[in-house]
Amino acid sequence: MNFAEPLLLSLKLSGVTTVLLLVLGVPFAYWLVFTGFRWKFLVESVVALPLVLPPTVLGFYLLIAIGSNSFIGQWYENIFNQPLAFSFQGLVLGSFFYSLPFAVQPIQTAFSSVDKKLLEASWSLGRSNLYTFFRVILPLSRHGIITGCVLSFAHTLGEFGVILMIGGNIPGVTRVASVAIYDEVQSLNYGTANMYAAILLVFSFVILAAVYFVNRRFTRTL
Amino acid sequence: MLSINLKKTWNDFALDVSFDIPSGKITALFGPSGAGKSSILRLISGLEMAEDGFISNGNETWFDKAKGINLHPQQRSVGFVFQDYALFPHMTVEKNVAYGIKEKWRMKEIKDLVDIAGLSGYERHYPEQLSGGQKQRVSLIRAIARKPDILLLDEPFSALDWQTRIQLQEDVKDIITQFNVTTMYVTHDVSEVYKLANNVIVMESGKEIKRGTPEEVFLGKRLSTRVQVTGKVVGIEHDSIMASVTILHADQFFKTLIDTEELKSLNLRVGDDVIVGVKSSDVILFKI
Repeated sequence: MNFAEPLLLSLKLSGVTTVLLLVLGVPFAYWLVFTGFRWKFLVESVVALPLVLPPTVLGFYLLIAIGSNSFIGQWYENIFNQPLAFSFQGLVLGSFFYSLPFAVQPIQTAFSSVDKKLLEASWSLGRSNLYTFFRVILPLSRHGIITGCVLSFAHTLGEFGVILMIGGNIPGVTRVASVAIYDEVQSLNYGTANMYAAILLVFSFVILAAVYFVNRRFTRTL
Repeated sequence: MLSINLKKTWNDFALDVSFDIPSGKITALFGPSGAGKSSILRLISGLEMAEDGFISNGNETWFDKAKGINLHPQQRSVGFVFQDYALFPHMTVEKNVAYGIKEKWRMKEIKDLVDIAGLSGYERHYPEQLSGGQKQRVSLIRAIARKPDILLLDEPFSALDWQTRIQLQEDVKDIITQFNVTTMYVTHDVSEVYKLANNVIVMESGKEIKRGTPEEVFLGKRLSTRVQVTGKVVGIEHDSIMASVTILHADQFFKTLIDTEELKSLNLRVGDDVIVGVKSSDVILFKI
């Protein structure tokens, strides 16, 4: 077995999930901040669910939702001629929901902390909501967006329960580093498990240190 | 001319005003805090919506409840100067001033505007590197750079110290006069009204209670019964004016409210001689 394969798969999964969360999480966070929707608190509760739910619960319902007997699973199979569950694409979908609060909440907090007067100043200077978003809100929310991205990446990297439920343990397809550790321990290969674990530990520490460092710098410059 | 007729209720506060603002003049909205002055500016600019009434600027209708018209703030030709500046902290002075300018060929005007505001050499500075007075100058020229029909200033000097305020009042008047823009200006400072405004509308509890030139409003019949004095300026220092004083007219009686305990301690009786003191901040001087 290729030692690096689970690590590379973990990095690939984290990267793809983070990009997806950034592309969809930013407009979603904007909607959460500026909508007048009266049931917004329910949407926010759903987004935050992965923070409190056991990953196996989320994984179980995702498996039911994307399994071959489900509407989504059948629709996906008809189009792509392969099942969504137990595939890399299935893992991305699961990771997306699992890490959604880690991306959306810091971005949402950053957007809502932009002084409303600045938005009003922009509108009164004749600028549209879209222009105001790109020129005022986004630059002043840099720290929140960077934090959201890095936390999503790190959280996906350490994901285990959801992956095991919807992806299983298929080498080269769904066997990411966290699953590989479990697998090696089951086979009593403590040395290999330790190497995977140490790499994930160092990587996670470096990422978190980078987040705190970057946030400190932004706090100083803003 | 800007014509407004606005009604709006917030919990237990009701705003109900109707007036015209003459073109090219500075009109002050004067009154105590909570009179509804700033709300009027927000309604005119479109940052808030009235429950009833209309706002028209010349032939253009910005808001008409009956006709279902309500233009977005972006569609109304206004410049808004906020009390706390509302400068974009991540942009330089130059970028802040250019923010509302959509025509690329007008970008060269930015330097002139910065010069007019006395901020040459500060183009690349960020707001946090400027003093309060400089920030408010940037805020003013940023609003003017868009060439608005109506300039709205919401207590622009209230966050500044006294000396900066006096200097900036002069500069603001010069800049507004130079651009000949119709201006509405919120304040609760009488001396600012005299210094800046051509007309004043006095507000109280969401309603207009008086309107006219500052002299008409503040030195009209009702106020002339207090006391009028004339004098000669005998000395000018950097922050004060000394004037000799001759009393022209005074009420036969001054009434003043006094705390019961304080009255007891003064031990005053009818027929006692007293010195009447007036706080210097309550004195207004006019050149005659």
